[in-house]
Amino acid sequence: MKLLISDDNPALLRLLQGTLRDLDYDVVSTHDGSQAFELLIQPDGPQLALIDWMMPGVDGVTLCRKLRSQQDIRPLYLILLTARDNKEDILEGLNAGADDYITKPFDSNELYARIAVGRRLIDTQNEMAAQQKFQGALEMSGTVCHEMNQPLQILFSNSELLLQNLPESDPAFKKLKTIKDNIERLGTLTRKIMSISSYASKSHLNGKRQIIDLENSGTDF
Amino acid sequence: MEEKRVLVVDDEEQIRDVLKEAFTMQGYEVATAESGEEALKIMRQNPCWVLFLDLNMPGMNGIELCREIRKNWPMAVLFAVTGYVSLFELTDCRDAGFEDYFTKPVSFANLFAAADHAFAKLERWKYN
Repeated sequence: MKLLISDDNPALLRLLQGTLRDLDYDVVSTHDGSQAFELLIQPDGPQLALIDWMMPGVDGVTLCRKLRSQQDIRPLYLILLTARDNKEDILEGLNAGADDYITKPFDSNELYARIAVGRRLIDTQNEMAAQQKFQGALEMSGTVCHEMNQPLQILFSNSELLLQNLPESDPAFKKLKTIKDNIERLGTLTRKIMSISSYASKSHLNGKRQIIDLENSGTDF
Repeated sequence: MEEKRVLVVDDEEQIRDVLKEAFTMQGYEVATAESGEEALKIMRQNPCWVLFLDLNMPGMNGIELCREIRKNWPMAVLFAVTGYVSLFELTDCRDAGFEDYFTKPVSFANLFAAADHAFAKLERWKYN
Protein backbone atom coordinates (compact mmCIF):
# COMPACT_ATOMS: atom_id res chain seq x y z
CA MET A 1 0.00 0.00 0.00
CA LYS A 2 1.16 3.50 -0.82
CA LEU A 3 2.08 5.63 2.16
CA LEU A 4 2.87 9.32 2.06
CA ILE A 5 5.20 10.87 4.62
CA SER A 6 4.97 14.60 4.73
CA ASP A 7 7.70 15.91 6.99
CA ASP A 8 10.54 18.41 6.55
CA ASN A 9 13.01 16.47 8.72
CA PRO A 10 15.28 14.34 6.51
CA ALA A 11 16.59 12.35 9.48
CA LEU A 12 13.08 11.28 10.38
CA LEU A 13 12.40 10.26 6.81
CA ARG A 14 15.55 8.14 6.72
CA LEU A 15 14.60 6.53 10.03
CA LEU A 16 11.16 5.52 8.85
CA GLN A 17 11.53 4.76 5.15
CA GLY A 18 13.67 1.64 5.47
CA THR A 19 11.42 -0.14 7.93
CA LEU A 20 8.25 0.97 6.22
CA ARG A 21 9.46 -0.41 2.91
CA ASP A 22 10.33 -3.68 4.67
CA LEU A 23 6.79 -3.71 6.00
CA ASP A 24 5.62 -3.62 2.40
CA TYR A 25 4.60 0.00 2.14
CA ASP A 26 5.28 1.90 -1.05
CA VAL A 27 6.71 5.06 0.54
CA VAL A 28 6.39 8.47 -1.08
CA SER A 29 7.79 11.46 0.73
CA THR A 30 7.48 15.19 0.57
CA HIS A 31 8.48 18.04 2.87
CA ASP A 32 5.84 20.41 1.61
CA GLY A 33 2.18 20.54 2.65
CA SER A 34 0.88 21.76 -0.71
CA GLN A 35 2.72 19.01 -2.52
CA ALA A 36 1.27 16.50 -0.05
CA PHE A 37 -2.19 17.78 -0.88
CA GLU A 38 -1.62 17.40 -4.60
CA LEU A 39 -0.35 13.86 -4.13
CA LEU A 40 -3.22 12.79 -1.87
CA ILE A 41 -6.00 13.99 -4.14
CA GLN A 42 -4.70 11.98 -7.11
CA PRO A 43 -7.10 9.15 -7.99
CA ASP A 44 -4.23 6.66 -7.78
CA GLY A 45 -2.34 8.42 -5.01
CA PRO A 46 -1.55 7.22 -1.48
CA GLN A 47 -4.47 6.65 0.86
CA LEU A 48 -2.34 6.46 4.01
CA ALA A 49 -0.46 9.53 5.17
CA LEU A 50 1.86 10.48 7.99
CA ILE A 51 1.66 14.24 8.26
CA ASP A 52 3.86 16.48 10.30
CA TRP A 53 2.01 19.28 12.04
CA MET A 54 4.67 21.88 11.36
CA MET A 55 5.42 22.18 7.69
CA PRO A 56 6.23 25.03 5.36
CA GLY A 57 3.41 26.14 3.13
CA VAL A 58 0.31 24.29 4.24
CA ASP A 59 0.66 22.95 7.80
CA GLY A 60 -0.55 19.52 8.89
CA VAL A 61 -3.84 20.61 10.44
CA THR A 62 -4.77 22.79 7.48
CA LEU A 63 -3.86 19.94 5.16
CA CYS A 64 -6.23 17.63 7.03
CA ARG A 65 -9.00 20.22 6.85
CA LYS A 66 -8.47 20.78 3.12
CA LEU A 67 -8.48 17.06 2.40
CA ARG A 68 -11.65 16.41 4.38
CA SER A 69 -13.50 19.15 2.54
CA GLN A 70 -12.83 17.51 -0.84
CA GLN A 71 -15.81 15.85 -2.56
CA ASP A 72 -15.48 12.56 -4.37
CA ILE A 73 -12.16 11.62 -2.86
CA ARG A 74 -11.05 8.09 -2.07
CA PRO A 75 -10.87 6.93 1.57
CA LEU A 76 -7.86 8.48 3.34
CA TYR A 77 -6.27 7.66 6.68
CA LEU A 78 -4.34 10.61 8.12
CA ILE A 79 -1.94 10.40 11.03
CA LEU A 80 -0.69 13.69 12.46
CA LEU A 81 2.89 13.72 13.76
CA THR A 82 3.71 16.44 16.17
CA ALA A 83 5.70 17.66 19.13
CA ARG A 84 2.57 19.24 20.62
CA ASP A 85 0.85 17.18 23.23
CA ASN A 86 -1.58 19.41 25.03
CA LYS A 87 -5.25 18.54 24.83
CA GLU A 88 -6.41 21.58 22.82
CA ASP A 89 -3.95 20.83 20.07
CA ILE A 90 -4.85 17.15 20.03
CA LEU A 91 -8.53 18.08 19.72
CA GLU A 92 -7.77 20.59 17.01
CA GLY A 93 -5.94 17.93 15.02
CA LEU A 94 -8.66 15.32 15.36
CA ASN A 95 -11.45 17.80 14.65
CA ALA A 96 -9.60 18.98 11.57
CA GLY A 97 -9.92 15.45 10.22
CA ALA A 98 -6.90 13.50 11.38
CA ASP A 99 -7.69 9.85 12.06
CA ASP A 100 -4.90 9.46 14.60
CA TYR A 101 -2.29 11.46 16.37
CA ILE A 102 1.20 10.61 17.55
CA THR A 103 3.47 12.83 19.57
CA LYS A 104 7.24 13.15 19.14
CA PRO A 105 9.39 11.63 20.38
CA PHE A 106 7.51 8.49 19.50
CA ASP A 107 8.12 4.80 19.81
CA SER A 108 8.69 3.50 16.27
CA ASN A 109 6.91 0.24 16.94
CA GLU A 110 3.88 2.12 18.15
CA LEU A 111 3.96 4.20 14.97
CA TYR A 112 4.13 1.11 12.77
CA ALA A 113 1.26 -0.47 14.68
CA ARG A 114 -0.88 2.62 14.23
CA ILE A 115 -0.07 2.77 10.54
CA ALA A 116 -1.18 -0.88 10.28
CA VAL A 117 -4.51 0.08 11.85
CA GLY A 118 -4.93 2.63 9.10
CA ARG A 119 -3.96 0.12 6.46
CA ARG A 120 -6.64 -2.33 7.64
CA LEU A 121 -9.27 0.38 7.64
CA ILE A 122 -8.38 1.58 4.15
CA ASP A 123 -8.45 -2.00 2.83
CA THR A 124 -11.94 -2.48 4.23
CA GLN A 125 -13.19 0.82 2.88
CA ASN A 126 -11.76 0.14 -0.58
CA GLU A 127 -13.39 -3.26 -0.64
CA MET A 128 -16.76 -1.85 0.34
CA ALA A 129 -16.53 0.87 -2.30
CA ALA A 130 -15.72 -1.70 -4.97
CA GLN A 131 -18.66 -3.87 -3.89
CA GLN A 132 -21.04 -0.91 -4.00
CA LYS A 133 -19.85 0.08 -7.44
CA PHE A 134 -20.33 -3.44 -8.67
CA GLN A 135 -23.78 -3.75 -7.15
CA GLY A 136 -24.74 -0.52 -8.85
CA ALA A 137 -23.52 -1.81 -12.18
CA LEU A 138 -25.41 -5.08 -11.72
CA GLU A 139 -28.64 -3.31 -10.92
CA MET A 140 -28.29 -1.06 -13.93
CA SER A 141 -27.58 -3.95 -16.22
CA GLY A 142 -30.66 -5.75 -14.86
CA THR A 143 -32.83 -2.78 -15.73
CA VAL A 144 -31.29 -2.45 -19.17
CA CYS A 145 -31.88 -6.15 -19.88
CA HIS A 146 -35.48 -5.83 -18.84
CA GLU A 147 -35.95 -2.96 -21.29
CA MET A 148 -34.16 -4.85 -24.05
CA ASN A 149 -36.42 -7.87 -23.73
CA GLN A 150 -39.38 -5.91 -25.08
CA PRO A 151 -37.93 -5.17 -28.53
CA LEU A 152 -36.34 -8.63 -28.49
CA GLN A 153 -39.79 -10.17 -28.10
CA ILE A 154 -41.13 -8.11 -30.99
CA LEU A 155 -38.19 -9.02 -33.22
CA PHE A 156 -38.35 -12.69 -32.27
CA SER A 157 -42.07 -13.12 -32.79
CA ASN A 158 -42.04 -11.31 -36.11
CA SER A 159 -39.18 -13.42 -37.39
CA GLU A 160 -41.01 -16.55 -36.23
CA LEU A 161 -44.10 -15.46 -38.14
CA LEU A 162 -42.14 -14.73 -41.31
CA LEU A 163 -40.41 -18.10 -41.15
CA GLN A 164 -43.69 -19.95 -40.69
CA ASN A 165 -44.98 -18.63 -44.00
CA LEU A 166 -41.78 -19.17 -45.97
CA PRO A 167 -40.76 -22.41 -47.68
CA GLU A 168 -37.25 -23.60 -46.87
CA SER A 169 -36.37 -23.35 -50.54
CA ASP A 170 -36.94 -19.60 -50.48
CA PRO A 171 -33.64 -17.67 -50.63
CA ALA A 172 -34.71 -15.50 -47.72
CA PHE A 173 -35.33 -18.46 -45.43
CA LYS A 174 -31.72 -19.01 -44.41
CA LYS A 175 -31.14 -15.35 -43.58
CA LEU A 176 -34.36 -15.10 -41.61
CA LYS A 177 -33.42 -18.20 -39.66
CA THR A 178 -30.06 -16.60 -38.85
CA ILE A 179 -31.85 -13.51 -37.64
CA LYS A 180 -34.19 -15.53 -35.45
CA ASP A 181 -31.39 -17.65 -34.01
CA ASN A 182 -29.34 -14.63 -33.04
CA ILE A 183 -32.28 -12.91 -31.43
CA GLU A 184 -32.69 -16.05 -29.37
CA ARG A 185 -29.02 -15.79 -28.44
CA LEU A 186 -29.58 -12.23 -27.24
CA GLY A 187 -32.51 -13.45 -25.17
CA THR A 188 -30.33 -16.07 -23.51
CA LEU A 189 -27.74 -13.41 -22.80
CA THR A 190 -30.18 -11.02 -21.18
CA ARG A 191 -31.52 -13.86 -19.04
CA LYS A 192 -28.02 -14.77 -17.93
CA ILE A 193 -27.15 -11.22 -17.00
CA MET A 194 -30.30 -10.81 -14.99
CA SER A 195 -29.75 -14.03 -13.05
CA ILE A 196 -26.42 -13.02 -11.71
CA SER A 197 -26.62 -12.23 -8.04
CA SER A 198 -23.18 -13.26 -6.94
CA TYR A 199 -20.23 -13.23 -9.27
CA ALA A 200 -16.98 -14.77 -10.15
CA SER A 201 -14.49 -12.66 -11.98
CA LYS A 202 -11.39 -13.33 -13.94
CA SER A 203 -8.54 -10.90 -14.50
CA HIS A 204 -7.24 -9.70 -17.77
CA LEU A 205 -3.68 -10.70 -18.64
CA ASN A 206 -2.25 -7.46 -17.26
CA GLY A 207 -3.89 -8.17 -13.92
CA LYS A 208 -5.56 -4.80 -13.68
CA ARG A 209 -9.01 -5.13 -15.19
CA GLN A 210 -11.62 -7.60 -14.12
CA ILE A 211 -14.44 -8.93 -16.26
CA ILE A 212 -17.43 -10.87 -15.12
CA ASP A 213 -17.25 -14.57 -15.86
CA LEU A 214 -20.81 -15.30 -16.96
CA GLU A 215 -20.26 -19.03 -17.23
CA ASN A 216 -19.26 -19.50 -13.62
CA SER A 217 -21.33 -16.78 -12.01
CA GLY A 218 -23.84 -17.91 -9.45
CA THR A 219 -27.53 -17.77 -10.14
CA ASP A 220 -30.54 -17.46 -7.90
CA PHE A 221 -31.65 -21.08 -8.08
CA MET B 1 -66.70 -27.38 -29.23
CA GLU B 2 -66.67 -23.76 -28.24
CA GLU B 3 -64.12 -21.60 -29.93
CA LYS B 4 -60.94 -21.18 -27.96
CA ARG B 5 -60.51 -17.57 -26.91
CA VAL B 6 -57.34 -16.17 -25.44
CA LEU B 7 -56.78 -12.73 -23.99
CA VAL B 8 -53.39 -11.09 -24.51
CA VAL B 9 -52.61 -8.17 -22.21
CA ASP B 10 -49.52 -6.04 -22.90
CA ASP B 11 -49.05 -2.30 -22.93
CA GLU B 12 -46.90 -2.51 -26.06
CA GLU B 13 -48.95 -2.48 -29.27
CA GLN B 14 -46.39 -4.29 -31.40
CA ILE B 15 -46.37 -7.20 -28.98
CA ARG B 16 -50.16 -7.41 -28.92
CA ASP B 17 -50.28 -7.30 -32.72
CA VAL B 18 -47.71 -10.01 -33.38
CA LEU B 19 -49.09 -12.36 -30.72
CA LYS B 20 -52.62 -11.83 -32.01
CA GLU B 21 -51.51 -12.73 -35.52
CA ALA B 22 -49.67 -15.83 -34.33
CA PHE B 23 -52.51 -17.16 -32.16
CA THR B 24 -55.05 -16.45 -34.89
CA MET B 25 -53.01 -18.42 -37.41
CA GLN B 26 -52.88 -21.25 -34.90
CA GLY B 27 -56.69 -21.33 -34.82
CA TYR B 28 -57.47 -19.33 -31.69
CA GLU B 29 -59.82 -16.40 -31.23
CA VAL B 30 -57.82 -13.54 -29.79
CA ALA B 31 -58.82 -10.54 -27.72
CA THR B 32 -56.22 -7.98 -26.70
CA ALA B 33 -56.00 -5.32 -24.01
CA GLU B 34 -53.37 -2.70 -23.36
CA SER B 35 -54.02 -2.39 -19.65
CA GLY B 36 -55.41 -4.20 -16.62
CA GLU B 37 -58.46 -2.00 -16.62
CA GLU B 38 -59.20 -2.77 -20.28
CA ALA B 39 -58.65 -6.49 -19.63
CA LEU B 40 -61.22 -6.48 -16.83
CA LYS B 41 -63.72 -4.70 -19.07
CA ILE B 42 -63.31 -7.41 -21.70
CA MET B 43 -63.65 -10.15 -19.09
CA ARG B 44 -66.87 -8.65 -17.79
CA GLN B 45 -68.40 -8.51 -21.29
CA ASN B 46 -67.16 -11.81 -22.68
CA PRO B 47 -64.69 -13.70 -20.52
CA CYS B 48 -61.68 -15.55 -21.90
CA TRP B 49 -60.50 -18.53 -19.93
CA VAL B 50 -56.89 -18.50 -21.02
CA LEU B 51 -54.91 -15.30 -20.55
CA PHE B 52 -51.37 -14.10 -21.22
CA LEU B 53 -50.40 -11.14 -19.06
CA ASP B 54 -47.41 -8.83 -19.27
CA LEU B 55 -46.30 -8.09 -15.73
CA ASN B 56 -44.78 -4.67 -16.11
CA MET B 57 -47.63 -2.36 -17.11
CA PRO B 58 -48.40 1.18 -15.99
CA GLY B 59 -51.46 1.46 -13.77
CA MET B 60 -52.54 -2.01 -12.67
CA ASN B 61 -49.61 -4.38 -13.05
CA GLY B 62 -49.85 -8.02 -14.14
CA ILE B 63 -49.72 -9.44 -10.62
CA GLU B 64 -52.60 -7.27 -9.40
CA LEU B 65 -54.58 -8.07 -12.53
CA CYS B 66 -54.06 -11.80 -12.01
CA ARG B 67 -55.33 -11.58 -8.44
CA GLU B 68 -58.39 -9.65 -9.58
CA ILE B 69 -59.19 -12.10 -12.37
CA ARG B 70 -58.70 -15.17 -10.16
CA LYS B 71 -61.02 -13.61 -7.59
CA ASN B 72 -63.87 -13.08 -10.05
CA TRP B 73 -63.22 -15.83 -12.57
CA PRO B 74 -61.57 -18.63 -10.60
CA MET B 75 -61.62 -21.01 -13.57
CA ALA B 76 -59.37 -18.73 -15.64
CA VAL B 77 -55.90 -20.06 -16.45
CA LEU B 78 -53.31 -17.28 -16.50
CA PHE B 79 -49.77 -17.10 -17.83
CA ALA B 80 -47.24 -14.42 -16.95
CA VAL B 81 -45.04 -13.09 -19.72
CA THR B 82 -42.33 -10.79 -18.46
CA GLY B 83 -39.12 -9.08 -19.47
CA TYR B 84 -37.57 -9.62 -16.07
CA VAL B 85 -36.01 -12.71 -14.49
CA SER B 86 -35.80 -13.13 -10.76
CA LEU B 87 -36.66 -15.62 -8.09
CA PHE B 88 -38.73 -12.98 -6.33
CA GLU B 89 -40.92 -12.41 -9.32
CA LEU B 90 -41.48 -16.10 -9.90
CA THR B 91 -42.72 -16.74 -6.37
CA ASP B 92 -44.88 -13.59 -6.49
CA CYS B 93 -46.44 -14.96 -9.65
CA ARG B 94 -47.19 -18.33 -8.18
CA ASP B 95 -48.70 -16.70 -5.12
CA ALA B 96 -50.90 -14.47 -7.27
CA GLY B 97 -52.28 -17.52 -9.09
CA PHE B 98 -50.37 -17.71 -12.33
CA GLU B 99 -50.29 -21.16 -13.90
CA ASP B 100 -46.85 -20.58 -15.40
CA TYR B 101 -44.32 -17.91 -16.12
CA PHE B 102 -42.44 -17.09 -19.33
CA THR B 103 -39.61 -14.64 -19.87
CA LYS B 104 -39.34 -12.52 -22.99
CA PRO B 105 -38.47 -13.27 -25.66
CA VAL B 106 -40.79 -16.30 -25.56
CA SER B 107 -41.32 -18.58 -28.57
CA PHE B 108 -44.69 -19.40 -30.12
CA ALA B 109 -44.04 -23.07 -29.36
CA ASN B 110 -44.05 -22.30 -25.64
CA LEU B 111 -47.12 -20.08 -25.84
CA PHE B 112 -49.13 -22.51 -27.96
CA ALA B 113 -48.21 -25.47 -25.76
CA ALA B 114 -49.34 -23.49 -22.73
CA ALA B 115 -52.63 -22.51 -24.36
CA ASP B 116 -53.27 -26.05 -25.63
CA HIS B 117 -52.72 -27.60 -22.21
CA ALA B 118 -54.88 -24.96 -20.58
CA PHE B 119 -57.81 -25.59 -22.91
CA ALA B 120 -57.43 -29.35 -22.53
CA LYS B 121 -57.61 -28.88 -18.78
CA LEU B 122 -60.68 -26.64 -19.01
CA GLU B 123 -62.38 -29.24 -21.23
CA ARG B 124 -61.66 -31.95 -18.64
CA TRP B 125 -62.97 -29.81 -15.80
CA LYS B 126 -66.22 -29.32 -17.66
CA TYR B 127 -66.91 -33.02 -17.68
CA ASN B 128 -65.86 -33.80 -14.10
